[in-house]
Amino acid sequence: MAQADVTATARSTTTGAVLECSGLTRRFGGRVAVDGVSLRIAPGETYGLLGPNGAGKTTVIRMVCGLLRPDAGTVVVAGRTMSAAGGLRARELIGYVPQEVALYPDLTARENLRFFGRMYRLRGARLNRRVEAVLELVDLTERAGERVESFSGGMRRRLNIGAGLLHEPTLLVLDEPTVGVDPQSRHAILESIQRFGRSGMAVLYTTHYMEEAERLCDRVGIIDHGRLIAEGTHGELVAQVAERDTIKLVATGDLATFAVACRDLAGVHGADTTDGEVHLLADFGRRLLPAVLELADRRGVTVRSVQVIEPDLESVFLHLTGTALRE
Amino acid sequence: MSPVLAIAAKDLRQRLRDRSAIVLGFVAPVVIATLMSFAFGGGDSYHLDAAVVDNDHGELAAAFTQVLRDPELSDLVTVRTVPSEADARSQVDSGEVGAAFVIPAGFTAAARGGTAAPVTVLGRVDEPVAQQVGQAIADGFAAQLDAVRLSVATALSSGATPDGLPALAAEAAARRLPEQVAAVPAGTRQLRSISYFGPAMGIFFALFAVSFTARGYFLERQTGTLDRIRAAPLRPAVVLAGKSLATLGYALASLTTMALVTTLAFDAYWGPPLAAAALLVAMALAMVGLTALVISLSRTERQAEGIAAMLTFGLVLLGGNFVYVSMAPPLLRTLALLTPNGWALRGFTDLATGAGPSAVLVPVLAMLAFTAACGGLAVLLSRRAAR
Repeated sequence: MAQADVTATARSTTTGAVLECSGLTRRFGGRVAVDGVSLRIAPGETYGLLGPNGAGKTTVIRMVCGLLRPDAGTVVVAGRTMSAAGGLRARELIGYVPQEVALYPDLTARENLRFFGRMYRLRGARLNRRVEAVLELVDLTERAGERVESFSGGMRRRLNIGAGLLHEPTLLVLDEPTVGVDPQSRHAILESIQRFGRSGMAVLYTTHYMEEAERLCDRVGIIDHGRLIAEGTHGELVAQVAERDTIKLVATGDLATFAVACRDLAGVHGADTTDGEVHLLADFGRRLLPAVLELADRRGVTVRSVQVIEPDLESVFLHLTGTALRE
Repeated sequence: MSPVLAIAAKDLRQRLRDRSAIVLGFVAPVVIATLMSFAFGGGDSYHLDAAVVDNDHGELAAAFTQVLRDPELSDLVTVRTVPSEADARSQVDSGEVGAAFVIPAGFTAAARGGTAAPVTVLGRVDEPVAQQVGQAIADGFAAQLDAVRLSVATALSSGATPDGLPALAAEAAARRLPEQVAAVPAGTRQLRSISYFGPAMGIFFALFAVSFTARGYFLERQTGTLDRIRAAPLRPAVVLAGKSLATLGYALASLTTMALVTTLAFDAYWGPPLAAAALLVAMALAMVGLTALVISLSRTERQAEGIAAMLTFGLVLLGGNFVYVSMAPPLLRTLALLTPNGWALRGFTDLATGAGPSAVLVPVLAMLAFTAACGGLAVLLSRRAAR
């Protein structure tokens, strides 16, 4: 997406939260889709809701946006209570970007944006200004007069996001916006979302892609089978599950002796060698690296390459649920 | 522009970009109404081309041929003389003439002798009207003949002398039978077929708006645009109002176009403008009610399409959009009163035959009642589904 100014009106309660969900629960028949989910997003914060397909992410989003009535729990947006039948003042603050491309293919990009702008009661000069600004933001000014049906998948996705930004929302809610998008468009979308966060807009972002959550989100909530099973910054989540870094060195020399010597370094919890490689298990791999390389030099070991493998959300998810993140 | 108007304008813009909607709403009704008014053109006037074969060559045969050529019948029948029955049958079979009269040999003598020698009327099975008209002319002549014979017999039995009989018979023949059936039309104008099939086809094709809108609603739900609208700070009634307004606009545009085109191009008469407009608006409102009902009865786009198609065709078949209701069996004429289009057609027929604007009051009220019933049912069904 183009480099354009993204503005967000900072609104929050006295507690500083743009979004506060408390005990959200929703059943479909006998099945509990969402079970007591509570979360809080601060102004300018990008919060990722990470979980496999069917975990309950979209159901949470629909309750946050007032599209689905919760069986229990509340949603408050910057101090305004949301409800499925009303919550008009809360809805004014939310920009909703659904998972599917929710646009009219037989209307042009500009006509789509003008229509959705009017749904948020934009009109006259402000409507025109916002439509042109969003077209520029999603890099579609040149194609504004063409029907959406002629657009590529990536262009549609960008316009889909743009339609949620017209009224300059305080909270942008994106439901898996990169599903089915080519790598180039995906990169552009993720960059723009990072910019939204920097501009002061709060973002609630659902995904089942680990790398997106790691790259974009200030905090991540892990949801599985309708329950929020962990929440925090990347570091907090990793620390929560006590996972350690792995330092992998490809080297030549007396690797067995070197490995034994490494075990005596503070913060190293284990070391072994295999096929010309030394693997060290450590608390903070990057911080320990200078000491490891100095030791190798002293022991006459020639290091050809070094890799620090930090625990990621995948390993956190695996640790918490006992299963890999399902596609 | 308010969100209600924005939704209606967006729907109409999409409709106008859909060629099938343009064809169904504006082109097809004019074409089909024109074709049907030609097909049922007999309602306006009928002319019979007939052949006559005189195998008798007597005075009465000449008199019958003279009757066929009477200036009073020139608008109804044109007759040509052919030499033989075989030629007459050939011309009937080829469609050159609609019917043929064969006057048998001895026709005059038989009539004078008081015995029957009937005129044969030849026709084709696929053109029953021609044969019926021919039969009616022949029956009329036979009745006139019987009347003359009865007059002469009465005179004789009353003591008239045989010398005066030829003059008496001539006088009786010159007198026509008195009218026995008098048609009393409800209005003051004759109903032209285009004035019936114009509104009938206009309504039929405008009813497709029900399917368009209902399918569009489910398509919007499927693609997520409806959720996007619902997420905006709008009351739920705004979406419904916008979509209803679009249906109303499309139906009114379609029906008004139909009225203008058939009036200007084919001289159809839809009635006084205000009264006709009242019927059009009431019919369009009935379509809005039907749309709401179809949406509340359906769960998917395909279901909506099927239900709308069943309702549309059921209504037009019962309501008389394809045949004159007056020609339908009594049961169908009663059932037509359960349909909004049946009431609309009744109103347009009354207006087209010269009735005053007040004639639309009952049809308009009936259509509004239908709208209210559909809307009420739709609300009940929607509330039940929401639970």
